[in-house]
Amino acid sequence: MNKFGIVLALSAGLIQAQDAREIVTEVQRRARAESQRYEGSLRVIDSGGRVTDKSWQYDRLGSHGNSKAILRFTSPPEVRGVKLLVLNHPDRASDQWMWTPALARERRIALQDRSTRFFGTDFSFEDLEERDVEHYDYRLLGQETLEGHLCWRLEARPRKGKSSQYTRSLLWVRQDIYVFVQVENFVDNQLARRLKYGDFERVAGIWTGRRLEMHDVRRNSRTILTFDKLDYNLPMQEETFTLQALRRGL
Amino acid sequence: MRAAVAILLLAASAGLAQKFEQRGYLETRLLVFPQTAPNDSGQVVADSLFRWEASWKPLAGLRLAAGVDARTDTHHQTARQLRLDWQDRSLKRPALSVRRLSASYYRGGFSLEAGKQLIRWGKADILNPTDRFAPRDYLAVVDSDFLGVTAARLTYETGANTLDLVWAPRFTPSRTPLLNQRWTVLPPAASAVRLEDLGARLPGGGQFGARWNYIGAGYEGSLVFYEGWHHLPLFEGRLRPDAPGGLRVEFQRFYPRLRLYGADAAVPLRWFTVKGEGAYFTSSTPLADEYVQYVAQLERQSGEWSLVGGYAGEWITATRNPTGFAPDRGLTGAFLARANRTLDARRSFAVEGALRRNGKGSWTKAEYSQTFGQHWRLTGGFTWVRGDQADFLGQYRRNSHAFLLMRYSF
Repeated sequence: MNKFGIVLALSAGLIQAQDAREIVTEVQRRARAESQRYEGSLRVIDSGGRVTDKSWQYDRLGSHGNSKAILRFTSPPEVRGVKLLVLNHPDRASDQWMWTPALARERRIALQDRSTRFFGTDFSFEDLEERDVEHYDYRLLGQETLEGHLCWRLEARPRKGKSSQYTRSLLWVRQDIYVFVQVENFVDNQLARRLKYGDFERVAGIWTGRRLEMHDVRRNSRTILTFDKLDYNLPMQEETFTLQALRRGL
Repeated sequence: MRAAVAILLLAASAGLAQKFEQRGYLETRLLVFPQTAPNDSGQVVADSLFRWEASWKPLAGLRLAAGVDARTDTHHQTARQLRLDWQDRSLKRPALSVRRLSASYYRGGFSLEAGKQLIRWGKADILNPTDRFAPRDYLAVVDSDFLGVTAARLTYETGANTLDLVWAPRFTPSRTPLLNQRWTVLPPAASAVRLEDLGARLPGGGQFGARWNYIGAGYEGSLVFYEGWHHLPLFEGRLRPDAPGGLRVEFQRFYPRLRLYGADAAVPLRWFTVKGEGAYFTSSTPLADEYVQYVAQLERQSGEWSLVGGYAGEWITATRNPTGFAPDRGLTGAFLARANRTLDARRSFAVEGALRRNGKGSWTKAEYSQTFGQHWRLTGGFTWVRGDQADFLGQYRRNSHAFLLMRYSF
């Protein structure tokens, strides 16, 4: 290949990477909301077919990369009152605290906890975090039809210095409404978790998958998360997202 | 007080669903001790606890909270009188007690909570030197539960800073093991004398504490000041050779004054989180030691394992050789560890323990827990205590036991 060919190939790769990043940036832009509230229901179905249900209320103030979120468990009864406060920062990893009524004290959760499964479900703490587009390098792999919709197929790899339990992820983005339809997460080239989005609905102008199904391939268990009473851009107060707010209530 | 509880119960039944939350459980526990103790021949103990907690928000910014315990047991650790106890000052656990009854008002960064409440300070696990408004029920020393305190707590939070001011007008002591039960270990010579508990001299006046917490970029720390009394007692004894019926030792519990300066910190790092907590305990009570107590721990979440390990130490600055009951000091000079594994959404396994630096005492607790449906949980495990008679942990070596716990949550 001559010099011109090398430059052309490099330029094509650069344009492709740029396109992929632009797609994910557009997904993030369209999902942008100053606040979000929903009631979440979790159903964990383990490899033996046993079912466990959990539910929570979720409030988020702020948008991607610079937000505060609080999650309050509402069932089963033994975890009712357990709360998780997450402060996301644009320049560093999030701060997280958990409030457990039985201890009557908040407890800081460490950075390395992100790979831990979220309360025994198939979601890890990292899976439930906001993905900042700047933390990954992207590559457009092509396009294919998924669930009857034409999608872009992208690859995301964590940038150097950005920690993740996953070596890489494959993302499917619907071309008509710019939402993720499926995410496959790999650890050392082995598929670890597959996340499928469904029941898409436009809420307050934002297309949202109200049903998320996470399949832990290694454990052969599934968790289905559904969003009820979902809304965006509701007025919320800063003081709701503080350590002392965790203490209020049960 | 009873009226307030009744109002909360009425609120629950009146359908104030959006502003009313409640939860609770009924728990029955069975403990089997393979060995008897010199002062306790009981080897099987069962107890039941019904705990109900509720919170009601009648107005924006105002919240009422209540919690009630009802309990009974086979080993007479619980009083048999059915009266509602507020103070938690009795030797035995009350059959009915108010665990929490408070009103809190918050506006902007200010929050004021007044009434009976649980106040927890500190960042370490297993041992918290700065946790001064947290007396405990130590009837079974290695399995303690926190007691509420009557206090007013004013908190101001702005950005990264939180200032916590607490004033407690009434003193709540920790509940100590009963004299005729296995968690009171007497020296062999004591069998020749009669012991008489003359009760407790409880201090009057209030206690005050202040805590400033700062959350920085990648770290968090607090400074603590406390002025009041230690919730763990010292003993004042008197030998009565002329007592009717022979030699008698009379003793009384009293609570030394305490002024404490403390600090804690948490620093999440890439591979583990460093947490530390320490406090300098000073006292104007002539019989009380002065000392520095500290805990340094590392914790890490590795897959489904949650691991905590550390060391608790003590440095005595003024020795006055008091006789007392001090499980917090009994855990110093020891390596502490806790490991928890989440097996799946229903099952977990945990083990925790303490091992003396000099190897003269150890305590290990292991348990397996599983939920059944939405309401039931079954937990089984054992507590194993080893060591020398002279060691705080080792003295309970006859108290190793297996346990089975069944809980219905609602």
